[in-house]
Amino acid sequence: MAAKTDKKDVVIGVVLVTHGTFGESLLQAAEMVMGPQENCLAVGIDVQKGVDEALEGVRKAIQSLEQGKGVLALTDLFGGSPTTMSLSLMKSENLEVITGVNLPMVVAALQARSMKLPELAEKVMEAGQQGIKVAGAMLRKKAKK
Amino acid sequence: MTLVRIDNRLIHGQIIETWLPYTGAKNVVVANDELAHDILQQEIMSLAIPQAVKSSFVTVDEVPATMSRLFSAPGDHDAIILFSNCADARRAFDSGLDFHVLNIGNVHYSPGKRQISPSVALSDEDETCLRHLNRKGVELDFRCVPNDPVQVRF
Repeated sequence: MAAKTDKKDVVIGVVLVTHGTFGESLLQAAEMVMGPQENCLAVGIDVQKGVDEALEGVRKAIQSLEQGKGVLALTDLFGGSPTTMSLSLMKSENLEVITGVNLPMVVAALQARSMKLPELAEKVMEAGQQGIKVAGAMLRKKAKK
Repeated sequence: MTLVRIDNRLIHGQIIETWLPYTGAKNVVVANDELAHDILQQEIMSLAIPQAVKSSFVTVDEVPATMSRLFSAPGDHDAIILFSNCADARRAFDSGLDFHVLNIGNVHYSPGKRQISPSVALSDEDETCLRHLNRKGVELDFRCVPNDPVQVRF
């Protein structure tokens, strides 16, 4: 049924670019919450390998995810190699890069992929920030009331 | 203190999160011929450097002059000097950059190299450069991050 798959909505690709297997595990965790996902990939940067080789790996992943609406790269550490490598691809790819990835961000990114890239980026950043709470203190406060 | 380091990734997480706080350096000098001419890549690398830290990107040949300029200027002189490979570090030393300790952080593996620690793989040429520096009195300090034990010595 080729005709049917052709009609599938075009979505923004999501790539997790991280140190080691962090991205892979995050994606697995997100799929535990949301079920299996399509058009997303995790690329682990192996620091033992050369920069060029790693960069090509990220580029290939981004290009395989591109459906025409761009790709969102979620990276771990601002200033780290996965982030700088992703940033250096912005010149050639339709790409936005967000750092500090956490699970709420991955979930938000996968949920709203029919949005436009800048709006999705904004939403993902907010989800990431809102996901951080000193929850114990919130609970203690509530219990006092 | 001033740290002279070989790191094939130049400025990245380990530098920003561990070596900058550890050394207290207020300057980062990246000595790399390619990067000295690539403004976009320079901007990307300096994005995450804390505001109080000054970064400069120079060619390998410009390092000795850059360091004398840094030392003659008022203010904090401590610096991290980064080279992406052993040959560049040797070239700077031979052309007058004075250092007594060389930190070898990340030298990535490729076929034909010998893995001598988890983050360092050396070719014959790399070894020749390091032995040359060692003979000239440079102590070799194989560490990825400050808390690592010093792993290999020539």
